[in-house]
Amino acid sequence: MSHLLELEGVSKRFGGVQAVDSVDFFADPGEIVGVIGPNGAGKTTLFNIVTGFYSPDAGKINFDGHNLVGLKPNQITRVGISRTFQSVRLFAAMTVLENAMVGQHTRTKAGIYGALFNTRRTVNEEQKVHTSAIESLSFFGERLTPRINSLASELAYADRRRLEIARAMATEPQLLLLDEPAAGMNPAEKEGLIELIGRLRDEKGYAIVLIEHDMPVIKGVSDRVVALDYGKKIAEGSYDEVAADPQVIAAYLGKAGSEEQQ
Amino acid sequence: MSAPAPAPAEQSSRRLRFERIPMRRIILIVLSVSIIYGVVAGSTATLRTGVFTAEDWQSLFINGLARGSVYALIAIGYTLVYGILFMINFAHGEVFMAGVYTAYFVAVAFAGNGFLNSNPLLSIAILLLVSMAVSVFIAVLLERLAYRPLRGAPRLVPLITAIGASFFLQYTFRGFYGANVRAYPTIEILQGKWTIFGIQMLKTQAIVIVAALFLWFLLYLFVARTKTGRSMRAVGEDREIASLMGINVDRTIVATFAIGGALAGAAGILYVFLFNQVIFTMGFLPGIKAFTAAVLGGIGSITGAAMGGLILGILEAVGPNLFLTGAEVPSPNQLQPVIAFGILVLVLIFLPGGFLGASEEKRA
Amino acid sequence: MNLRSALKPGFVGGIVVVYLSAIGMVERFQDRNVITGLVGLGVVLMLVAFAITSYTAARKSDSSLLTGVAVGFISGAFVAIVTMGFEGLINAGLDVRGMFVSITPGLLETLEFGLNPVVGAFMMVVASTAVGAVSGVLVGLEYHLRSAVVFAIGITLLMSLGEPILRVTLGNLQIPTGWLYELGGLTIAGTIIVLALAFGLRWWWMSRADTRREAAAQMPEATRRTWGRASLMAAIVALVALPWIVGPFVSDVLGTVGLYVLLGLGLNIVVGYAGLLDLGYVAFFAVGAYAAAIFTSPASFLVTEEGQQFAEAGFTNLWVALPFVVIIAVVIGAAIGAPVLRLRGDYLAIVTLGFGEIIRTLVLSDWLSPYLGGAQGLTRVPAAPPSSFDLRNPQHIYYLILAFSLIAAYISYRLVDSRVGRAWAAMREDEDVAEAMGISVVRYKLLAFAMGAGVGSLGGVFFAAKIGSIFPNSFGLQVSINVLAVIILGGIGSIPGVIVGAAALVGLPELLREFGEFRLLIYGAILIAIMIFRPEGLLPNKRRQRELHEGQDLAAVDLTKEGPS
Repeated sequence: MSHLLELEGVSKRFGGVQAVDSVDFFADPGEIVGVIGPNGAGKTTLFNIVTGFYSPDAGKINFDGHNLVGLKPNQITRVGISRTFQSVRLFAAMTVLENAMVGQHTRTKAGIYGALFNTRRTVNEEQKVHTSAIESLSFFGERLTPRINSLASELAYADRRRLEIARAMATEPQLLLLDEPAAGMNPAEKEGLIELIGRLRDEKGYAIVLIEHDMPVIKGVSDRVVALDYGKKIAEGSYDEVAADPQVIAAYLGKAGSEEQQ
Repeated sequence: MSAPAPAPAEQSSRRLRFERIPMRRIILIVLSVSIIYGVVAGSTATLRTGVFTAEDWQSLFINGLARGSVYALIAIGYTLVYGILFMINFAHGEVFMAGVYTAYFVAVAFAGNGFLNSNPLLSIAILLLVSMAVSVFIAVLLERLAYRPLRGAPRLVPLITAIGASFFLQYTFRGFYGANVRAYPTIEILQGKWTIFGIQMLKTQAIVIVAALFLWFLLYLFVARTKTGRSMRAVGEDREIASLMGINVDRTIVATFAIGGALAGAAGILYVFLFNQVIFTMGFLPGIKAFTAAVLGGIGSITGAAMGGLILGILEAVGPNLFLTGAEVPSPNQLQPVIAFGILVLVLIFLPGGFLGASEEKRA
Repeated sequence: MNLRSALKPGFVGGIVVVYLSAIGMVERFQDRNVITGLVGLGVVLMLVAFAITSYTAARKSDSSLLTGVAVGFISGAFVAIVTMGFEGLINAGLDVRGMFVSITPGLLETLEFGLNPVVGAFMMVVASTAVGAVSGVLVGLEYHLRSAVVFAIGITLLMSLGEPILRVTLGNLQIPTGWLYELGGLTIAGTIIVLALAFGLRWWWMSRADTRREAAAQMPEATRRTWGRASLMAAIVALVALPWIVGPFVSDVLGTVGLYVLLGLGLNIVVGYAGLLDLGYVAFFAVGAYAAAIFTSPASFLVTEEGQQFAEAGFTNLWVALPFVVIIAVVIGAAIGAPVLRLRGDYLAIVTLGFGEIIRTLVLSDWLSPYLGGAQGLTRVPAAPPSSFDLRNPQHIYYLILAFSLIAAYISYRLVDSRVGRAWAAMREDEDVAEAMGISVVRYKLLAFAMGAGVGSLGGVFFAAKIGSIFPNSFGLQVSINVLAVIILGGIGSIPGVIVGAAALVGLPELLREFGEFRLLIYGAILIAIMIFRPEGLLPNKRRQRELHEGQDLAAVDLTKEGPS
């Protein structure tokens, strides 16, 4: 059985920095993979390559039978990968509902003609967009639904993170890439996040890849953990295996050590 | 039997294959191939006709070098401001116009009482001072009144303001000084030709080129060596950190505008050496061309501005005759602006970072 | 109160008035009567400048009357001293006009109120101090009263400036105007009546504000919708009847305003919806006009000698050409757009400006003059059939422009809340994220650009049809700037804003010929002022307003809403 997402020997260089160095990586349907590594290890760059923001210098990327190399981000979203951003990037001047509705873009078709003449298909489609946006928002219980008409910029921080996930859900992905979803959350919120990620897999059937610095979160949700350092994959396996890996420990300690020296 | 309808996955795959064709790149390649073909074919045809002698090309080249020097000086104003505020100071062409137009009245007064030709060097120095002072004044005023309230606004907001300021200044000076073209008084010692290294050139052209080089060099030293110059670079790198390091950001920005204004004012006087006339709209085209020069050389880079200016000036002077005469285009020099704007468009498409500038910022 | 705090606004007021005088505005405007026999527009301009500076200063101060008086006094004194200075220079035999062409004897006469220099200077100080005092008193007044006073003065001014339309219109309606207008301005009696009426009406309206709001709140949704529809219908009926009420001269102005509404709506799709600053919009206007002329004029290069007779007989007419013109413009728009739409916003603006200038240069060139007419332009654009609906008649072409403006407005209105509109809004806010949400940024930018091009070319077609011949001078950068100013003044992304912007920026100057030479000066000033003080424009689009005020605290946004308008 082939993997849902499979990367083979993917590399990316920025000037003199080898940000990603021939990384092999995969994710299976319904799997939750944690990606860890010190700052600058190339985790977000990896996400940016998978989602088409950067094109890799070398390597193959396959997803659900599609070759992703050379596709634009919007096309990659269409084939079923969605993502969130490390620094929450919502459409701040839009309402919560509108943010989620934008997510439905690739799943709908209405163009100028439909909008102008308000055809039955467009009306139905708008209805569907609305329902599906509400559905994504209500996944978060009472956190977002009471606020659908407030501006995204008016939300509390944790709710912005939630809205970003809801927006990504609205694209109806098979694979969800979460970039540090726990950043800035308090312990209680982190607990909620662990549960939420589990539910995303169980109820929605997504495969999930998440970048996270917070080890309890990684430990709590991951089926498998991949560690990167200086753009290279240095370890892979269950959380316990990776956490015990001397290279991983060295990578974290080395960083911590050098930070202390400064 | 008809083939079974393709499965949805297959369909989307086919759509992707179609969309994978890099349309933009294909358009760009077609565009560049046709431009290169046009330039080469036009040039060879022109050269084959032999309408122009080697001396003609030489004088066109010098002409281009001279006007390019003026563009280079104006371009520095764009580049400095962009390097520090990341805004296109669209009104910079009017800063240039304001100085030299005001100095015109001094020149007329000097010409009237004979001072201009009895003390030509002193006169030129005074004209330069007046022109530079007025340009600096306008540039600083512009920054203070129009741009400073907008720091940190979305990028297009200061640009729209600058466009507004450009028209506002043009028509302000039209109101002040009138709508007519005015001929600058001639300075006798600048008339005639020199032969330098066996090349004949107008005295004015030689003086413009040398003066521009000199001013550019002064500026280069200023930015590299002085405290203000270092502050300018620091503020351009990161305004917040610069201010934490004790740099007075406001004062540095004002200094940047002032330096750009001073060079534009000087460029104005050099410009009238070449073209002998002033009018309230005279800032627009040189302004846009200088901006093109700044982009061409890599916006933010002072050396780039100088190189870009010279390249643009030469292309503009030589280009229409070289590329178009052979193609039997009547009065090719009418199309000079097309060359300038064409270069602007092409540079922004193919080389948005310019020759010396940094590449486009990273995304996502 | 601190006298020093009045010093700066005082000088600002004085400098502004001296500036307005030195660019020739005061003198030029003085030719026009506001209240015939009493004040001209030039003096009003000065007084308004004094009033605004003293009012703003007085509002910030705790003793408003004193501040107002002080600011007014300083401003007036400054102007008086500068005036006397110029008087002295001229008396000393200096050729001041050789440099400042606008410092004319006429100007000095205006600044001295037609009196001798010393008495004139005294009068200037008295007038400015009085204006300052009035402004100071105004600040102290209770809100309703102040609002009514300002409203009354504003309406009176508008009534006076609107004399060309109003006198003609009232005349057409058989209403006598002799009591109201005289020699282009209001009569003294008329002024008093207008002031009193406007004051009374405003007062009455505001005193009923609470009841009205309550009634509106209690109105059931269905009734409200009916009301909304009814007022929309009424507006359309009024628009349809307008040309016959106002007569041909004003209809011509309306046609020009309509043209700019159309252009504004087109540019609004590009700038307002897609967020692409297009400074070369005139290119599409030119393409429309030239393509229409080439297709229909018997003088066009497309017409062969054998075809001449057909052409004279109107072989191709405007209606046949129209769709082709729009298609050509859309194709050119897409072709220009495709390679440059990836550029960052400010670079894109400059590139589009470059395209606009390239097209203008090409049109002007000898090279293309066999096809495009060069500097002589293209003439003999024929009238479109049927002959009973003559498009040269301003009252007729108005309807054509109106119809297409309504269509464009409808299109904009439908699109903004559709899937396409959401995609544009997302892209405008954050291109990368929009792309990550599956929006093809290039496609939607191209779509906006092409739509803008199509609408712009329509504007060009009607322009050609209206004038009958086209010249390259009509297609300069100024047109792009005019249209940009129209949508920015009204509010980027706002449909009613486009209409208000066009009426204010195109309609008013057409009526006030005194404006003519200061048009671009005023547009420039408006662009600057709007960007600094109210970037969302007069009638903001809600979402756009939020974008422009992102990061500011909400209190600040509310403040701008409540500010004096």
